[in-house]
Amino acid sequence: MNQAYRFIKTRDAVMRGIFLLCAAFSVLALGCITLFLLANGLPFIGRVGLTNFFGTTWHLSSGAYGILSMFVASIYVAGLSTGMGVALGLFTAIALYKFCPKLAVPPIRQLINLLAAIPSVIYGLFGMIIIVPFLRDHVSPGGVGYGILAASLVLSIMILPTIVSISLDALNSVPRNYYEGALALGATSEQSVFRVMLPAAKSGVLAAIVLSMGRAVGETMAVIMVIGGSPVMPTSLFQSVRTMTANIAMGATELSGDSATALVATGAVLFVFALLLNVSFSMLSGGEERGKKRTQKTGA
Amino acid sequence: MKTMFNTGILIGAITVAVLGIGASGRQPAFDASKNISVIAREDGSGTKSAFMEIIGLKGKPDPAKIIIQTGTAGVLAEVKGNPTAIAYESLGYVTRDVKALRVNGVEATVANIKNGSYKISRPLSIVYKQASIDSGINKAFFTFLQSSDAQKIISENGYVAMVENASRYTINGALSGSINISGSTSLQPLMIELATAFEKLQSKVTVNVSGGGSGTGYKDADQGVSTFGMISEEFNKEKAPSCIYHVVSQDGIAVIVNRNNPLNSISMEQLKTIYNAEAGQNSISKWNELIK
Repeated sequence: MNQAYRFIKTRDAVMRGIFLLCAAFSVLALGCITLFLLANGLPFIGRVGLTNFFGTTWHLSSGAYGILSMFVASIYVAGLSTGMGVALGLFTAIALYKFCPKLAVPPIRQLINLLAAIPSVIYGLFGMIIIVPFLRDHVSPGGVGYGILAASLVLSIMILPTIVSISLDALNSVPRNYYEGALALGATSEQSVFRVMLPAAKSGVLAAIVLSMGRAVGETMAVIMVIGGSPVMPTSLFQSVRTMTANIAMGATELSGDSATALVATGAVLFVFALLLNVSFSMLSGGEERGKKRTQKTGA
Repeated sequence: MKTMFNTGILIGAITVAVLGIGASGRQPAFDASKNISVIAREDGSGTKSAFMEIIGLKGKPDPAKIIIQTGTAGVLAEVKGNPTAIAYESLGYVTRDVKALRVNGVEATVANIKNGSYKISRPLSIVYKQASIDSGINKAFFTFLQSSDAQKIISENGYVAMVENASRYTINGALSGSINISGSTSLQPLMIELATAFEKLQSKVTVNVSGGGSGTGYKDADQGVSTFGMISEEFNKEKAPSCIYHVVSQDGIAVIVNRNNPLNSISMEQLKTIYNAEAGQNSISKWNELIK
């Protein structure tokens, strides 16, 4: 009896250890990546100087490693694609929530979720073969299809499923009696959805926006194929530019020495940028939660 | 069942719409008043550094409006679909989908590269450590590359064979194992042909050929990841200090444009102006400055 008890006890301890190890693994992975990026990137930035690294000239053979133009391009692409994606996705979610024949909701939702299953290289291919030539021949004033608009269009389709499914879930989790209460006070169905339900689902929608922005900043393959790739400061939507992700991917297999370290440093900047995005998101949603609690308290 | 039916209809509608857009943009006409879309390869590409060096822009930055394609296939696809594009590309890769221009009036052919009248050509080489080819399968493969069997394959694929009066490769039945080769995507397709032929002769040997670019070729050979690294530019000792090189073939770099482009010939000076970031006032930006 005693022996069996001891066996169970050791087994439990071993299993606890294994689970702890699993949990520690992801923390360890994050730590390793952070250490790798900062330990390689920061000394490099220090060595070439801040003004060089955050300058606008990227020309490897003359030792100019300025990534400012790529940083700006990344922000433009992420901002524009999130803007377009959120506008489209939010209205899609609202339509699916209230203003769509009930029969059509499941297939449309299923199809939008399917978008998330398409590999990013296929989005890139689609952008390169359909969107870029279309922009070049029919839209762009200078006859250049590559650039911020092409990348943003492709990305806005890519982030649709994130926005639609998270906002729809947020809308669905708002108690139904909010809607009915608004109707009882004389609001129309549209008014109650836009003025009552949507504000009540705000934190979920915000989560959708930040998550999709994170994806837009980090997306590489689809962007590289439609962005053009010239490391210059963006001045137009139809101009070959380069994002930070594209910069890393274009050179990673070919470059060595200082040029390769410059890519790691670019990665460090990208990493910090993504981190800031995430932190600001959790601060935003944290404030949201506290706000909600306060209202509940005053309500009670 | 109903859901699946609806889904089917939706997918069908989307497909038709996409095909419609695709078909309408299939063969756009050439318009000489349009800007030239200047296509280049990424930094570190052997084709790029060789081309820039030959036209006299070694180490110079790309013009601001450059469109970068990371690979030979990407360059071809872009020139095929974009009527205003100009690009450079390894001659062995050029297909009928695009048009190769005469440079200074000379057509890009194997014969013209061999006799030196076509100026834009560069060596395709392998880099390796001397010690690694002292014996065994690596030595056998190195010998094979210089044999008449290999020279035949090289010229049949549209490249310039380097060894005159080569002798036949003699099979050594005792050899077995595998050889790793990596690097330049310009040399890769030819190397795959050569590797396949070698595997046929030496049935117990496998040869793995992978890409990555000339930068990878230097790096892998220097660090011993691959026995042979492939490069498509003049050998640069600084990039792989422990290695020496052997020229497998001479390859031309063709200047290519869309098939709908009426231009047939271009001069080195014009090329230099198009690819020069510092051309300033003399820069050529529209096709009607080239097509008079």
